[in-house]
Amino acid sequence: MEASVPTETSTFEQLMLPHLDSAYNLSRWLLRDPHDAEDAVQDACLRAFRAFGGFRGADGRAWFLTIVRNVCYSHLRQGKRESLKVAFEEDLHGSPEDSGEANAQSWLEVKGELLRQALERLPPEYREVIVLHDVEGLSYREIAGVAEIPLGTVMSRLARGRGKLQAELASLSQNTSP
Amino acid sequence: MNCDESRLLLDAYADGELDLVRHIELEAHLKACPTCLRRSEAIAARRIRIRDSLPRFPASQELRGRIHASLRAEARGAARQGPLPFPVAWRRWNLAGLAASVTVALLAGYSWGSHHARSTSLADEAFAGHMRSLQASHLTDVTSTDRHTVKPWFAGKLDFSPPVVDLADLGFPLVGGRLDQIDGHTAAALVFRRRLHAINVFVWPARGAISPPRSATESGFSAQGWTHGGLNFLAVSEIPAAELEQFAGEFRKRTE
Repeated sequence: MEASVPTETSTFEQLMLPHLDSAYNLSRWLLRDPHDAEDAVQDACLRAFRAFGGFRGADGRAWFLTIVRNVCYSHLRQGKRESLKVAFEEDLHGSPEDSGEANAQSWLEVKGELLRQALERLPPEYREVIVLHDVEGLSYREIAGVAEIPLGTVMSRLARGRGKLQAELASLSQNTSP
Repeated sequence: MNCDESRLLLDAYADGELDLVRHIELEAHLKACPTCLRRSEAIAARRIRIRDSLPRFPASQELRGRIHASLRAEARGAARQGPLPFPVAWRRWNLAGLAASVTVALLAGYSWGSHHARSTSLADEAFAGHMRSLQASHLTDVTSTDRHTVKPWFAGKLDFSPPVVDLADLGFPLVGGRLDQIDGHTAAALVFRRRLHAINVFVWPARGAISPPRSATESGFSAQGWTHGGLNFLAVSEIPAAELEQFAGEFRKRTE
């Protein structure tokens, strides 16, 4: 049966599967559930495979992550918990709310687990830019392509998202320390 | 540049994402403004902390295997019948029904063995159903390689107790189980892996008139059936028939 697999499948796997960790990581952070995240990545893989004929070979990772992201958002919209109110919030808060007032040292003492919890509390639009930039190492321009937003929005969302992350972290730390 | 403008740019500055002109302007401002400089240092530290402390979740080997299998099934399916529609609502699929139709089709195909055309089309249907069950990633309700986890999971969900064995030492690791329907009964489906392929073993009480076929093969798809201890067993997979026969033999040996 191995011999009957078309070469298209092998080409697809060679080009896309190296990005499977990135895809799963984004999906896991967006959906916050390992099973949903796996389902979404598998669905995204099939969609990517079907659309592979239209892929022109510019940036495989960004192309694949765009599909993963779209599948995740369909999932979020379809069901549950998450309401996409971030655009509204952006109108309300004109500037980053953090202001980096906390000094550098306190940041170095923050526990990773607390940071994870804090990030999971952020709306998905902020979560994704932080994950794509700070975990996956995508540039602002690459994120603009994946999230389909202007470069300036990437910049402001990332700054605001980190500010919100810091605020969530502060409230979590207060709740956990005596 | 004033402090308000500077605040909006500090994250991008720390990320090295500012264009040259604004980069130079901001550095000039930071030299002149200790408040903004302190803020810039805090933001740089925050950025490093986030980057170094956030976990990155890697894809599991199981997911890789599933994707590999579903891509192969998709490629074969596309060659056979063109693209399949694939809704996003994976979990809403009636997979139990699909899987049951696979097996019922096999049973029917076996008992009408002389009607070759009928048998062929049923096997085709069964093959398509099996393919979709792999794609839709609802292979297991309980996912565990530990039979002491899988077996108790069925307790209270079935009016019989399916034997669960581990054949990992022979290259057939257990991956989990799910509830299914077969021949009008609720059945246990035990799921094993052979390399990147899935093997479903359907187990249900031997009350019905119809017994599982001892063996059936069609379109690269095979089945092995037997009855023991008042239970019917039917193993279904796309691995070579000889391997499935070996699997079924070992499964029987360890349960009888």
